[in-house]
Amino acid sequence: MVRAVADRAFLPAKSMFEEVGNMMILTGKTLTAVVRPPYPYGGEFIGQFLFALQLSWFPMMVSTIAFGFGAPGLQAANFLSLFGSLDRLGGFFILASVREFAPLVTAVVVAGVAGTAITADLGARKIREELDALQVLGVDPIKNLVVPRFLSLMLITGLLDIYAVLFGISGGIFAELAYNQPLGGFFATLFTNASVTDLWGSILKCTIFGAIIAVVCCYKGMNASGGAEGVGKAVNEAVVIAFLGVFAFNYVFTQTLLATHPEISVIK
Amino acid sequence: MPGWLAVPRDWLESLTEIARFGARTMMLVFNGKVFHFFGESLRQAGILVLGSMVVIWGLVFILGLQCGIEGAYFNRSVGAPSYAGVFAAWCDLREVTPYAFGYMLAAKVGTGIVAELGSMRISDEIDALEVMGVQPMIYLCATRLLGAWLTLPFMYLVAIGIGYFASYLAVVEQIGEVSAGGYFLIFWMFQNPPDLLFSLIKAMQMATVIVLVGCYYGYNAAGGPVGVGTATAKSMALNIVLVHIIGMMGTLVFWGANPRAPVGG
Repeated sequence: MVRAVADRAFLPAKSMFEEVGNMMILTGKTLTAVVRPPYPYGGEFIGQFLFALQLSWFPMMVSTIAFGFGAPGLQAANFLSLFGSLDRLGGFFILASVREFAPLVTAVVVAGVAGTAITADLGARKIREELDALQVLGVDPIKNLVVPRFLSLMLITGLLDIYAVLFGISGGIFAELAYNQPLGGFFATLFTNASVTDLWGSILKCTIFGAIIAVVCCYKGMNASGGAEGVGKAVNEAVVIAFLGVFAFNYVFTQTLLATHPEISVIK
Repeated sequence: MPGWLAVPRDWLESLTEIARFGARTMMLVFNGKVFHFFGESLRQAGILVLGSMVVIWGLVFILGLQCGIEGAYFNRSVGAPSYAGVFAAWCDLREVTPYAFGYMLAAKVGTGIVAELGSMRISDEIDALEVMGVQPMIYLCATRLLGAWLTLPFMYLVAIGIGYFASYLAVVEQIGEVSAGGYFLIFWMFQNPPDLLFSLIKAMQMATVIVLVGCYYGYNAAGGPVGVGTATAKSMALNIVLVHIIGMMGTLVFWGANPRAPVGG
């Protein structure tokens, strides 16, 4: 009886820790495979990069314009219009878009669009036993499949962050136009408040998001099992874990950046 | 390689079909046919509560913390740290909790439905249901929609409370530049019950769309276990974009021309 209760509470926790540990091991193996020669992953890297870009460019654009127009655009413009200082919206967009929402929306879209596609792809190969066949042929699946996905997702998430900043700010411009404001004040406060620290913080954060998403999605895809439902279930679990990992990391990173660089939160 | 225009073309092609499918499913709930299988609806509601509740609340909690620290640092920078409650109240209630709820619902519930229904479709279980004289649309899709409508409003209201608690922790306990009393005074002053209702409407629109899109992709899955995986990935991509569009439309309709703030005349 006691044992049954203990098992019920203990086993899920144990399996969760095991899973996190396995993902860490996969990360370590991937990192060593990146630097250790030979480097056979060039072609696959370009292929995966284009694959992720082709899948994500349109969802990214719609999502970031919608988010930028709605959340930071209209709500902040509402608030600022009460004080007659709508030109300050540009300065607010440095905080809202560059520091916070652009990386988050990028991570959500990349995890939801490219990450799920990677898990579905690798999961399909796993249950068709292609991965085992590769291993029999002496081809290392980590070096030839995981490493190019890891690197291309890191690169593309960092680059899509800039894309998200641009479209997020254009959402803000639409909000400013919706209030019939001239755009001069918007751009003036935008560029005086912009700082290099914010930009590199944003891009670094996004690159690490890409790494988290890639490791989680590759791990789940390569460990898909269990018949017809297996691949779908793997995608489901991958995207949930990727979201939780990304958002938890985001909190720690933003907190650290804000606390260690007090100059970026000075309004100019 | 999918090609550069594959995603928008795919969505344009399937959007009318998804709308028709969704309308049919909603009709099955509204005309009461779903109540033939009310037990199944309750079972689906139970699965939602037991399987997805904690994860959804977890994500809302993390984003509530995020709202708190951004609000605290922003209000410090304009020289009014004791007004962090304004930022936290608007961020939590109006924008971020609906988004966090939508993201996690799409990730956990939407893709879960696709995986489940898709595997039923490819192992011909849905055809078997039809042969037995059970309408699969009612038994599989309408019951899930009703189950979601039964549980998610309450889950969302608790999620808002959790977001508030997280923002309080971040602003008052972690950053600590405003007293609890000062924070709550401003925090409650900048929101009122209609705001809560609008936020709930936004979140429930997201929930309805997510369940319907999940049902559509699962119900129409094809191509073996691999097809189920692809359908799951596709449903997630569409859901993410729809969540953002609904969030924007909600903001535009509910708060677009009316700040609903106790400032000025």
